[in-house]
Amino acid sequence: MLTEVKNQLHVILLSVKYNIMREMTNRVTFLMNVSFMMLNNAAFIIQWMLLFRLKSDIGGYGLNDVMVLWGLSAGTFGLAHVFFHRAFSLPDLIIHGKLDSFLVQPKSVLLSVITSATSSSAIGDIIYGYMILTIFNFSFSNLLLFTLFIILGALILTAYAVIVGSLSFWILRSEMLSENLNNIMVNFQTYPDGIFKNVIRFLLYTLVPVGFVVYQPLKIILHFNLMACLGVLAFTIGICLLAFFVFYRGLRRYTSSSLMSARI
Amino acid sequence: MDAITVNQLSKTFRVKVKEKGLKGSLKSIFQPEYKSIQAVKDISFQVKEGEILAFIGPNGAGKSTTIKMLTGILYPEQGEAMVMGINPALKRKQLSYQIGTVFGQKEQLWMHLTPYDNFKFFGTIYDLKDHEVEARIEELKQVFELEEFINTPVRNLSLGQRIRCEIVASLIHRPKVLFLDEPTIGLDPVVKENIRALIKKMNREYKTTIFLTSHDVGDIEKLCKRIIIVNHGRIVLDDSMENLKYHYLKKKVVELKLRDAVDLSDEDGITVLKSKGNNVKLEIDTTKKDISDALKLIDADNILDINISNIPLENIITEIYKENRQTLMKGSDTP
Amino acid sequence: MRKYLFICKATLMESLQYVMNIALGFISFFMMVFVFINLWNYIYSDPSKLISGYSRGQMIWYVILTEILWYGTRNRTLTVQISDDIKSGTIAYGLNKPYHYIVYIIAKHIGEIALKFVLFLGAGLVIGLIFVGPIRDFSPLRLPLILLSLLLGILINSFIRMAISVLSFWIEDCFPFHWIYDKLLILVGIMFPVEVFPQWAQPIIRCSPIYVVSYGPAKLVIDYNYSTALEILLAQLIYLAVSFILLMLFYQKGVKRVNVNGG
Repeated sequence: MLTEVKNQLHVILLSVKYNIMREMTNRVTFLMNVSFMMLNNAAFIIQWMLLFRLKSDIGGYGLNDVMVLWGLSAGTFGLAHVFFHRAFSLPDLIIHGKLDSFLVQPKSVLLSVITSATSSSAIGDIIYGYMILTIFNFSFSNLLLFTLFIILGALILTAYAVIVGSLSFWILRSEMLSENLNNIMVNFQTYPDGIFKNVIRFLLYTLVPVGFVVYQPLKIILHFNLMACLGVLAFTIGICLLAFFVFYRGLRRYTSSSLMSARI
Repeated sequence: MDAITVNQLSKTFRVKVKEKGLKGSLKSIFQPEYKSIQAVKDISFQVKEGEILAFIGPNGAGKSTTIKMLTGILYPEQGEAMVMGINPALKRKQLSYQIGTVFGQKEQLWMHLTPYDNFKFFGTIYDLKDHEVEARIEELKQVFELEEFINTPVRNLSLGQRIRCEIVASLIHRPKVLFLDEPTIGLDPVVKENIRALIKKMNREYKTTIFLTSHDVGDIEKLCKRIIIVNHGRIVLDDSMENLKYHYLKKKVVELKLRDAVDLSDEDGITVLKSKGNNVKLEIDTTKKDISDALKLIDADNILDINISNIPLENIITEIYKENRQTLMKGSDTP
Repeated sequence: MRKYLFICKATLMESLQYVMNIALGFISFFMMVFVFINLWNYIYSDPSKLISGYSRGQMIWYVILTEILWYGTRNRTLTVQISDDIKSGTIAYGLNKPYHYIVYIIAKHIGEIALKFVLFLGAGLVIGLIFVGPIRDFSPLRLPLILLSLLLGILINSFIRMAISVLSFWIEDCFPFHWIYDKLLILVGIMFPVEVFPQWAQPIIRCSPIYVVSYGPAKLVIDYNYSTALEILLAQLIYLAVSFILLMLFYQKGVKRVNVNGG
């Protein structure tokens, strides 16, 4: 059991290493992708500086707090896409029968699939996340918490993508739907939850669980609370288990593109 | 012992039926209609350990679906398959240590890495120790003659070299059964011959059971002792290559170049395939008429040139496909 | 002219097939608008307050309108297709065909976005009416001018995008330039009206194309007066001419380059 986990981890790390090597074959493109993503994120500082000119608190936060929120968002997004980029294009793999080669390997299909590609610009996101934390709210304990929460957040984002992506096993045209749901996750991440009212806030902790990805972590970084920490951890474990369950349930219905393209 | 046993295996796909036009598109969104297509119907067969089996059929016959059920990619709907005593549907991981797969059209190698790094990666996937992998790579390198390009990135290799590496990658973990789906597709004749020789060698040296699908008759003829033909999801023929040939070799093709034209169309046991002036092509059924009797019908002085040959395997297979379609149609006519 | 109308019509018919995809695209659009509704609701804690001269309703309508322009006119034909055509040499093959490539692309683009834009416009209006209510002092008499300004804005935007894509004749990848234009549009044109920016930045923004592509049409809807209308339309006409001339100039130079180098 233990060696099995060790071997699985070894394969994952090797995959990610090779993925990044592949992205780096063209160094200029690679560096441009990384730096443009950082610039992209930095551009939104202007938006918040303008908004905070109009009002000194937005959703109960000041500029520094919103920036840390941005850092958390960039960090979780970046980490998820560096390690598990393929989770976000799962519908394409399912519909076009690209899971075959993973199914004949003696490793977890889900883990092999989602680690089979990376996004170079996501590296820029991670760097940006840490830069933001360093500039706007640095302390050693914050660094540790930040690292912990972007790992958990990346796992939640990935698990969520796997769940909505797996819908393609059942519903043929759900590609756009899952893409939209993933976009919503990202969209809400960069705005303070304080601006939303009750029902929406409830949705943000359930249907689109942005709350556990960034809102709770930000609150914990600002005012440490062990129970809340454990809550985020429990949710992460829960949604990861659910992702495995849904994916393997759907896998039984996998058709390997055999007759998918047939149009009558 | 049997390497593969398949018992009444079936698989049905549900396909969305879409009507034409905007109205059809809208309808298919809100009220989709489905149609069931049975890709594999009640297939049963066995493959012995160490055997090389050709599993062939026209496009859409159910070949790939069967191979995918045997390798654990697809769940069977009914029936059961056992590969090396393991049920692919239930113990996919356990099975994968026993089998190797090469899908000619789908690449499993990392293009930007060298074959050597790729093999190391596959070694890790199959939990091999470093020294084990290295010894194995060394061994396969000799057998498959990879020295030349083992350190060149895969994307810079020729198609033939790539296929060779694909096969080697699937052999890293010493599989007992190897599934080859169209291994020689798109290769030139010399490389094809090369790959075939390697497959044969592998079968001989490692006693690997080989399950091969191909559209290339050469692959089948040169490699396989046994052949299974599927069509419309059913097995239409399961026989040794020898029997197949013997059965169909009862017919001979005789090509003649004559001084004067002769009419042979009324003779029993002779079918005129082609007749163009003084050139005639005949098919002679040797159960009804011996070759010598047939030739007696023509004056020896009249023959300028003669060529007697067997029916090519390709035609035999095409004929089996057609026969099968006719019997199917006959079957559906009778109420 | 008839053949271009035909191209336009054919692509429009084709886009009818993808109504469902467009409808799903609404989700992103709606979310963006929804976030801004909440954001402005929070910032306007006192609903009767004016910020930079705008009421809460006007501010939200502004975002709805600019987002319609953004989502409703996005099209890969202007970016990816032109670059691909240039890099693959398709343009060289098309040179001897009896149509002008640039006009062909414009016709195709308009055919592709027409339905999408109308659907987004409809959806945006519904969302606005539900969440904010009708625009204050809106008079249907202004519609012709507003529609003209919208059309001009869309055209200028297309010309600018195409001019950027045509740079593919000289540079390997014009994605960074599209990206910069995108960011400028989002930050300067879509989220906030010019008046929200600091005093020193406003004249710069007013001179930029963003002012005529995004701010202009939206401003006419939410806060109409005769002199701004004139100013915006005049600026749009100037930009229309400038962007078109630049586009054609780039294109002619680029094509010549292909002829000289033989593709």
